[in-house]
Amino acid sequence: MTVAENFFENLRLELRRGCLTLAVLAQLRQEHYGYTLRKALAERGMEIDESTLYPLLRRLETQGLLASEWREEAKRNKRFYRLSDDGEEIFAKLLHEWNAINTSIHNIL
Amino acid sequence: MNLLDRYLEAVKKFLPWDRQDDILAELRANLESQLEDKEAELGRPLRADEVEAWLKQIGPPTQMAARYQPQRYLIGPETFPIYWLVMRLAFLWAIPVYAIVNAVQIATETPNWTAVLQAGLRLPYVLLMAAAWITLVFAALEFMVTRYPAKFQAVTGGYDGWSSNALPDLSLTPSKKKRTYAHAVAEVIFGIIFLIWLLLVPQHPYVLWGPGAVYLRSSPFQLAPVWFQFYWCVVVLNIFQLGWRCVDLLRGTWRLQRPVQQIVMKAVGLIPLAALLSGQVWVMLKQPALDQAKYGQTADAINTSVRLSLTLVLVIVTMQLVWEAVGIGLNAYRRRMAATR
Repeated sequence: MTVAENFFENLRLELRRGCLTLAVLAQLRQEHYGYTLRKALAERGMEIDESTLYPLLRRLETQGLLASEWREEAKRNKRFYRLSDDGEEIFAKLLHEWNAINTSIHNIL
Repeated sequence: MNLLDRYLEAVKKFLPWDRQDDILAELRANLESQLEDKEAELGRPLRADEVEAWLKQIGPPTQMAARYQPQRYLIGPETFPIYWLVMRLAFLWAIPVYAIVNAVQIATETPNWTAVLQAGLRLPYVLLMAAAWITLVFAALEFMVTRYPAKFQAVTGGYDGWSSNALPDLSLTPSKKKRTYAHAVAEVIFGIIFLIWLLLVPQHPYVLWGPGAVYLRSSPFQLAPVWFQFYWCVVVLNIFQLGWRCVDLLRGTWRLQRPVQQIVMKAVGLIPLAALLSGQVWVMLKQPALDQAKYGQTADAINTSVRLSLTLVLVIVTMQLVWEAVGIGLNAYRRRMAATR
């Protein structure tokens, strides 16, 4: 990877990082466990690595944005996540912010 | 034990110990579901090489586990500017303080080059210790601020209290005004007056000592010959400076205060001081045979004090010179870098 490519990759990751959180919060308005969440996001064009998504879920839960519970499904214990009340509130604010940024960028372009 | 079990076992080693079972159970459930989906798509179990490729795509166990760890840094981006400022200030003060303390210590003991060399070699250790302690204090502060943000509101909210009125006054920064012709002429005139005054001192000591000249004449002490060397060094230096200023005036180059010229002047100014310090005795008895018993100790005490004072002055002036030279060098480097951009 050249210096320019590396620079672009860093910027791309930086840009994606916040968007991933927003996408995860949006998708978790419906309950999911890790793998189905990843599949649902991928189906909507948002591919996320396992090593990024699963720790992110833990982090968002620790921050109080997600609620989770262990439940058995298809003979396997799985941890299901959904937006918490605080998460819904913050998601609404983040969505508003994202829309504002999006509009600004379009206006600038 | 299959590859997935081995992978999870490897991840476990790097997970936070208090949550590793919980995280591992969730990770296993997610990865097994994914594996089942893949097998359902193919209609057969994955071969070992396919499992290997799949796990390789997921990423190394260390990377997977690392993402579960909280983001860790010794000193965070908010604290770092203050940390860096403190570090620079500490280095700025540690070096001169260390130099002065060691110069005094060496001067009071038996001065020798081995002691100077040893003091120089100890400097990196002193700086390293200073840096280590500052880093330790800031790391502890960062930890406390991160762990108890509410209790350390004053630290984290420190930037809210700044006021634009507290910004330094521009008039306090060094002036870049060019010198006037009157200023340059005045320097030459006063330089000539000072040189005349200096040349009068040997024949008419009272122009330097005032009424004290009478006391010196009658006192049992006299100045050592090294002071005459010092005197002539100062005279030659003043003639040199005066000559330089006259040349500047004649060439019309008095407007700009050239930093390199100032540094050279100051460096040359160290020569008389170094010449003076090279002497072992600065004050001696006029009649040692008669006065040694009565004034010998006083003369020794005066010589020790003079040596100490001269060493201090030499160290401070040298450090000032180095500081200014480094500043000029850095400014020149900045200008060159800005020109190449």
